Order: sequence, then structure tokens, then C-alpha cells
Amino acid sequence: MIKRKVLAGIGLGMTAALALSGCSGSPEAEGAVTLQMVESLTNPARTALLEELIAEFEAENADITVELVSPPTDQADQKIQQMLQAGSGVDVLEVRDLTVGPFSTNGWLDDMTEEFDGWAGWDDLTDNAKKVATATGETYFIPYGFYGISLFYRTDFVEQAGFDGPPEDWEELLEQAEAIQDPDANTFGYAFRGGKNGYTNAVLAISAYVADDIDVTNAYKLTNGDSIFSAPEAQDALEVYFSLFEKASPPSSVAWGYPEMVEGFTNGSTGFLLQDPEVIAAVQQSEAVSEEQWNTAPMLKGPSGKAIQPLATAGWGIAEASEHKEEAAKLIQFLSEGDASIAFTEGNSLIPILNGAADAEFYKTGAWESYLAMNENPDAYITAEQPRGAAWWTEWGEKADAEVQQVLIGQLTPEELLASWDAYWTEKWASE
Amino acid sequence: MINVESMPARITRIAFLAIWLLLTLFPLYWIVITSFKTPGAIFSFPLTYWPEEFTLANYISLFEKADFGVYVLNSFIVATGASTVATLISLLSAYVLARFEFRSRTAILMAFLVTQMIPAFIALGPLYLLMVQLKLVDDRFGLLLVYIAVCIPFCTIMLRGFFANVPDALEEAAMIDGCSRIGALFRVIVPVMKPGIVAAFIFNFVNCWNELFLSVTLMNKDENKTIPTALNGFISSFNIDWASMSAAAVLTILPTMILFAFASRYIVQGLTAGAVKG
Amino acid sequence: MSRQQTTLKERPSTRAGAPAAPRARRRQFTTRRGFVILAFMLPAAVFVGVFTYYPMIAGSQMAFRNWNLTNLTDTSWIGLGNFEKILADPSFGTILGNTVLWVVASIVPQFVIGFAIALWLRRRFRFRGLYQALIFFPWAISGFLIGILFRWMFNGEFGVINDVLKKLGLIETGIPWLAEPSSAMFAVIVANVWYGVTFFAIMILAALQSVPDELYEAGALDGASKARMLFQITIPTISTTLALTVLLRIIWIFNFPDIIWAMTGGGPANQTHIITTWMINITQRGDYGMASALGLLVVAILLIFSAFYLMALRGKKEVTA
Repeated sequence: MIKRKVLAGIGLGMTAALALSGCSGSPEAEGAVTLQMVESLTNPARTALLEELIAEFEAENADITVELVSPPTDQADQKIQQMLQAGSGVDVLEVRDLTVGPFSTNGWLDDMTEEFDGWAGWDDLTDNAKKVATATGETYFIPYGFYGISLFYRTDFVEQAGFDGPPEDWEELLEQAEAIQDPDANTFGYAFRGGKNGYTNAVLAISAYVADDIDVTNAYKLTNGDSIFSAPEAQDALEVYFSLFEKASPPSSVAWGYPEMVEGFTNGSTGFLLQDPEVIAAVQQSEAVSEEQWNTAPMLKGPSGKAIQPLATAGWGIAEASEHKEEAAKLIQFLSEGDASIAFTEGNSLIPILNGAADAEFYKTGAWESYLAMNENPDAYITAEQPRGAAWWTEWGEKADAEVQQVLIGQLTPEELLASWDAYWTEKWASE
Repeated sequence: MINVESMPARITRIAFLAIWLLLTLFPLYWIVITSFKTPGAIFSFPLTYWPEEFTLANYISLFEKADFGVYVLNSFIVATGASTVATLISLLSAYVLARFEFRSRTAILMAFLVTQMIPAFIALGPLYLLMVQLKLVDDRFGLLLVYIAVCIPFCTIMLRGFFANVPDALEEAAMIDGCSRIGALFRVIVPVMKPGIVAAFIFNFVNCWNELFLSVTLMNKDENKTIPTALNGFISSFNIDWASMSAAAVLTILPTMILFAFASRYIVQGLTAGAVKG
Repeated sequence: MSRQQTTLKERPSTRAGAPAAPRARRRQFTTRRGFVILAFMLPAAVFVGVFTYYPMIAGSQMAFRNWNLTNLTDTSWIGLGNFEKILADPSFGTILGNTVLWVVASIVPQFVIGFAIALWLRRRFRFRGLYQALIFFPWAISGFLIGILFRWMFNGEFGVINDVLKKLGLIETGIPWLAEPSSAMFAVIVANVWYGVTFFAIMILAALQSVPDELYEAGALDGASKARMLFQITIPTISTTLALTVLLRIIWIFNFPDIIWAMTGGGPANQTHIITTWMINITQRGDYGMASALGLLVVAILLIFSAFYLMALRGKKEVTA
């Protein structure tokens, strides 16, 4: 209290500064509600689309105003945490499969079961979407779409190297990428991910090699309860995977994270890229790669002819501290239904959450064909859930990234890496 | 020493200064050139040191994609306001610390020095909570207040050094002539110290203009963002977009450069007057 | 312009003559004097107290608690547990070593180059003002932006640095600078040197101008060589300023994660982390307890270092005096 008074005094004394900053609180009209909405995976195009959808929502609900907050992606989740902890400034927020665990454990998220009881939109959701929304028995967020992985490839490079089509499995990828690699011309085979979250692709390769024995409810486990890193096939997978780096990738890709990989493909210097569908839009905008020069292919298989597709997801949730939960739910429902949802998933190249949306013309053409192919062949392209909600997931990611880089710079052998990963998860599961 | 210079010494001096100038300017040249290249040309091989075609597209899209004008205005308001107020406040505290001896003087100086040692990250969370309680989150005035606090310690230490160089006799004479202490300070000492004060102001301004983490933490709405926050947004999850980013960087650097170009004489003179005295 | 220069030139004499008389006045205690001190100190004290010290102290308590954002249901006091966690971390040794390397390898070239520039800028020449303005530019750019800029230039495939080195015939194939721990560390230090030389050049130039010409004239009469004048007149005269500038820079560089964070993020394989970038990393995984403990450790290290540094400085001054 005293502090505030002192501050107010200083504030008054500094009228000059006040006049400069020209600030004033905007009084709220009677009965009107302002919702604060914070996004996490911010990018300019997505923010623009989201604002359009919000404008539609506001037109339908004259008494609700939505203020969209778009922090830089790098700092977004940290900022959201601060807001949630302070219990102010946020009503609706982007909840990711990575953050739902910690956020709900801390009691920061509203269990929306009540608000969504009797919501007409439930029936339109795909099974996957419904499963995510009600995973733990509570509803902490409604997913807005799914991120799946496919192989982006340069049709012209593949053809010039003398191949009929894109690689189907990891070994073929290595073969083709090696044939394309030509460092003197600044052309590289594969956009290797050695930097942030680089371990995820190593795990993809490992899962494809152990696909026959994987536990689909926990993609880090084998059906016998051991970790996937303990399987002998994991060694084979890493041998191919790290050969990709040695023989067919740009040397500086040791440090490549998401932006650098995407850039490496869109600037026309690399032949292959394993990425989310949201990259489709980025490649389409590329000036260096024209429409005929690229396409996508389904996930890479292991020796047994199967691949594991880890579906990542994010969605909208409500802050526990929100004073406008009802209006917040209304907004989320609006975004999760019909045209708004379709516009959002198509605009961001996401795998849709609505039944039948994937039948739209949009998902049958061009780069989307591979997703359809994967969808239609669930025995070969198995969706499995990674333990992304674990409290130690971020810690794991850092450890795993550092160790992948250690292998790349020759400080660790692939065997040591697998042993370390196996030990890590075995210990974590035992302590659960 | 000042007047005689042998030929080899002269050549060494000129060569050294020329090479350093080249090394200093090259990165700036590179970013400016990059900002005028088409996105395709940035990744063309071999690299071009002079764009084959100049394009303003990166700048235009910057203003279309983002309210860059708003960010510049916000940064300008906050940086100017904060550095002005901080310089004034520091003038008072530096004056007292330079002219009076009192028991807690060393302690206060140490307390100011310690603020330079604290990694900003420890304080971010509690500061956010404090600002929420004060209802100053997402408010340019709130950010301005925090920036003032950030600027004061170093500014005080710096100005204290300048005061030490202004003879006491000057203000004593003024006070005998009937000026109050504060009158003597502002009418007699401040004009003499002008270069030092300008230097302190510029130092504050540059710090506020470039500050990132506090701004990201305390500002939400797009209309309240400052330039560094916006720039950080460009390295969005999508891609690095070097073209837009170079253009944004050029626009960010430009105001401080203009300021420096005008004020570099003052900076040297100001610091000459005080340097950093313990 | 001219007036300021006179002030500067006069300074040595006023400095020598001033203290005796006013010292007595300063010692008198009057209520009025107390009031002036209080009134003039208050604004600064309130601002720094409220917006710097309060959050810092509030933040420090997390250092002694189990404060992890991934699970805040149990935030019990754990004494020095977080500090133990830091010391037990296998990468702590490397990170500490990197921090020292980062500070020393940045500050030495910054100081030497800055000193050389300052010495050579004393001589008047045409366009000196312009030259000064131009080489001061790096100081106006944020560390974050400098990191981005140098990451772009050190890019292994499209970076201009590789291209220039190739054109000069120094290398044949591009070096993946940021992909190897040692070259990445080299690259971030190059960026920091580029940024920091300016600060030293300004500070030293300023200090040099306070050396009275008479001293050099006397030296010249004695027939002292230039090198001797540099070491026996210039450096001793400005040594206090130099030492304090170096101390302040050490504190800042120690606490300056921006360039490294933007260029390498501490990678590859955590080999370019310094304490403060590591701290950012730890906050990102939510362990605010450990991060705060690390922050306190930074303050402690710098305080102890400063104390020794200032003590050594004082001791030396007494010897020379």
C-alpha cells in the first residue's frame, strides 16, 4: 500500500514523462467483456488469420471484445507462464501438448468439462481430437489441429540423381541424399536437424526401426516395457541416421534448428527435409523453389516397412483465474467449429480436427497427398503418442539435444548415446 | 609526443586506423546491402557484394506486415522519457554523492554497483508480479518507470565522476550570489557539465532503445511493443527471413546512429570530463 | 566547444587545489544539509529500490526453494539444494571455464585495440570527428542484434566471412563456424570484440585527454623515448580510470548473454554456454530455483572479484604514492 502511494507521488511528479507516454485506461462499457487471448506458436501470417477469425467472432458477439497478444515465439511460453502465475492478463491461451502437463499441475488451467458440456461441436471432432481433448478425464484444451511429419523433397534433384521417386525408407533416403550432395555447388542432400529439438528426428528414425514392437500409447516404450532405446534395432537406425549427417548434410547443420532447416530447404540448397505440414506454406512462398520442383512424401519407414507418426498438437484453453470463463468458452467453441476451424487448419497447413474436413479438395492436392496416403494406410503408418506431457520433457529435450550434438562433433558414440537415453527413461519411469 | 611522428609510425597509425574502420563498417555494410537484396539473391551463389537489383520490397513488406511505425514511436517515447528522467534523477543523486560526505555514502555507491552484477533474469518474474499489482503491465508508462530504474545506477556513477571535476568554488560563488542550492546546480554547474550530461543521456537512451527482455515481459498488445520485441518476433517459428530482418535491423540501428553522429563529439568530451571515477 | 575544452585543461590544477577548504564545510552536520541529501537521493533510491532491489530480493528466495514451474504444488524450502545441484552438474566446470575464457579473451583484445585507437586518435587529422563517429557505431547496436548479424555472417554455407576468406585464399572450403565448439567460441568472441572495442576506445580517449600536456613536455625535455613516455607518464596517470573501466567491463561482459544466446544458444552440445546463457536455458526448462541460485552465485563471484580487484588497486596506489 505504502509503496503504491510513494509510487503514485513520483508518478505525479513526473507529469512530463506522463504526457509523453500518453497513456490512459480505456473504460469498459457496461456489460461488455474484454477477453485477453495469448498465442504461443506465433508467426505473422497466423496472427493475421487469427485476427480475422476473431473479428468474425466479435461481429457475432457484440458484447465481447478480444485482445490478441502475440509474443515472440521464443519467449511466448515463458510469458504465458508469468501471466498464469500472476493470474491476470490472460483468459484464453494456446496450450501445447508440451505445456498442458505443467500448466494443469499448477492449477493454472480451467477444466472446461462444465463449459463444454452439451457443446454441439463434440460430434464433429475426429476421434483423435476428442481423445486429446478428454485425455486425462478433464478437458484442459480443445486442439485446433495436428502437426504430423512428412518428407519434403526436391523432385528435380531426385530425378537428376537418377531415381524414379522419393525414398520410402531411411536407407533409401541416405542413398538418394548422398547422390544429391555436392558441397562445391552448395547443394546438400538432407536438411539435418542438429540444433534445437534435433533429437526428435533421431527418435523418429529409432521408432521406425522398432515399429513392430512399439507401445502406441507411449512411443518411447516397447511392448515389453523396456525403452525403445534399448532395442538392438535402435543401433541400426542411428547408424543410418548419423551417416546422413556425415555423408549428405551441410556441415553447419550441427547447429540447425527449425528455422535454419526450413530455410535450407526453401532457399533451394537442400534436397530433403523432414518437417510438419505447416512448412508447406513456407515452401509455397519460396522464390528459390518453384511449384514443380518439390513435393512431399510419406514418413520414412524402417526395415519392417512401417513408420511411426508422432502426432503433435496444440489448442485453446482457459486460464483458471479468468473471470470470463463463459465468454472464453464461447470463443474457443467458435474457433473449434465449422468454417473457422477449417480456415485455421487450412491456413496453417494443419491436419484438421473436424470429421470430413480432410475430404476437402484442399487436402487432396499437391503436397497434401502424402498425408492422405498415410491416413489411408494406418497399418504401415502407425500413429503413436509420445510422452510429451511428462514434467521432465523439457529437461529431456535439452539433454537429448546436447548428446546428439556430442555425437555429431565426435565426443560421444551412438552406443553411449542410446545407453544414456535408455538409462534416463528407465529411471524416470521407475520413479513415477 | 604530440608533435613528432616518424614516417613508419605514421604509416602504422594510418594503416591500423584504416583497417579497424574497415572491420567496423563491413558488418554494417553487409546488413544494409542484404536489406536491399531480393530474397532469392540473398541465397544465390556466389555471394554478391553489390546487389544486381536494388529492391525496397523488404522495407515495404515490413511496414505492411507489422506496424513498424508504431514500434518506432513506442521505443522513441519510452527511451526518450526514461533517459530524460533518469538523467535528471541521477544528476541529483550524483551531486549529493560527489559533494557531501555522509555515513551511508559508500553503501549507496556499492548498492548501485551491485545492480550491475545482477543477472536480469532473477528479477523478471517478481517484477512482473509487482507490475501487475501496480496495474502497469502492458503500459508504456510502466515500462518507462522500469527503464528509469535500470538507468539510474550507472548514470549516477558516471555523473558523479563529472561532478568531481567541477570546482566547488563555482557553485559556492553562485550560492553567495543568492542562488539556492538547486538553483546553483542547474544554473551554474549543469551548463559546465553539458557534455558529460549529454553523454550520460545518450548512454541511457541507447540502453533503453535496445532493451529486449523487460520489454517482452511487460508489454503484451501489438500497439505497445518496442522495436527489439518486434525484431525478435521476426525470428518467428516460421523461418529466419533474413531479408525482412536486415531491413528491420537497419531501421532499428538508424536512429541511434543518427544520434551518435551528432553527438559523438559530446560523448568524447563528456567522458573526458569524468571518465569512470571510483 | 572552446569553453568546455578550457574546463578540461584546467581540471588537473583545480583537482589538486580544491579539496582542502570545502572539506571542513562538508563535515558540518545541519538539518538543512541532511534534508538536501535526503531530498536529492530519494528519487533514485525509490526507483532502484522498488524496481530493481525489491524484485531481486523477491527473486532470490526462489534460490532456496524447490521452485520449478513444471510443478509448483511443492515449493518447499530446500536450503542450499539448488546450489548443490549447480555444483553437481557435469557441465558446470566447462561453463565456468567458458565464462572465464569469454571474459578474458573478449576483454584483452578490446582493451588493446581500444587503447591503440585512443592513442592514435589523440593526433588531430582531417575527418577525425567523422572517423570517431563511424567507429563508435557498434556501441549503438543491441547485443542481440549483433549476435544475429554475426550469426548471419558466420553462416557456414552463405556466410560472407567464409566467402571473404576464400577470396583471400586463406581457406579452400567453407568452415562451419558455429558447428564446432572451438570455432563457435571463437566466433562469439570475435563478435564481442567487435562490439566492445568502441567502449574502451571512448573511455581511454577520454582518460588520455586528461593527461596534462606539461607532463609530456617535461618528458620530452628529459629526452624520454615515446615508449618510455607511454609507460612512465601516460599509463600511470590514467591507471585508476583504466582499472575501473576494466572492472566495469568485466562485470558487464560476465553478465552479457545476448551475443552468445543469439549466435549459438550455448551449443553445440552446451560447449559455448557461459553462466548467464546457461541460466536462460535453465529458466526455459522451468527450474527457477536453480536459475535464481545461479544468479546469486554470479553476484557473489562478481562481488568477491571486485573486492579483491579494488583492494589490489588500492594497495598498488599506495605503493606508487
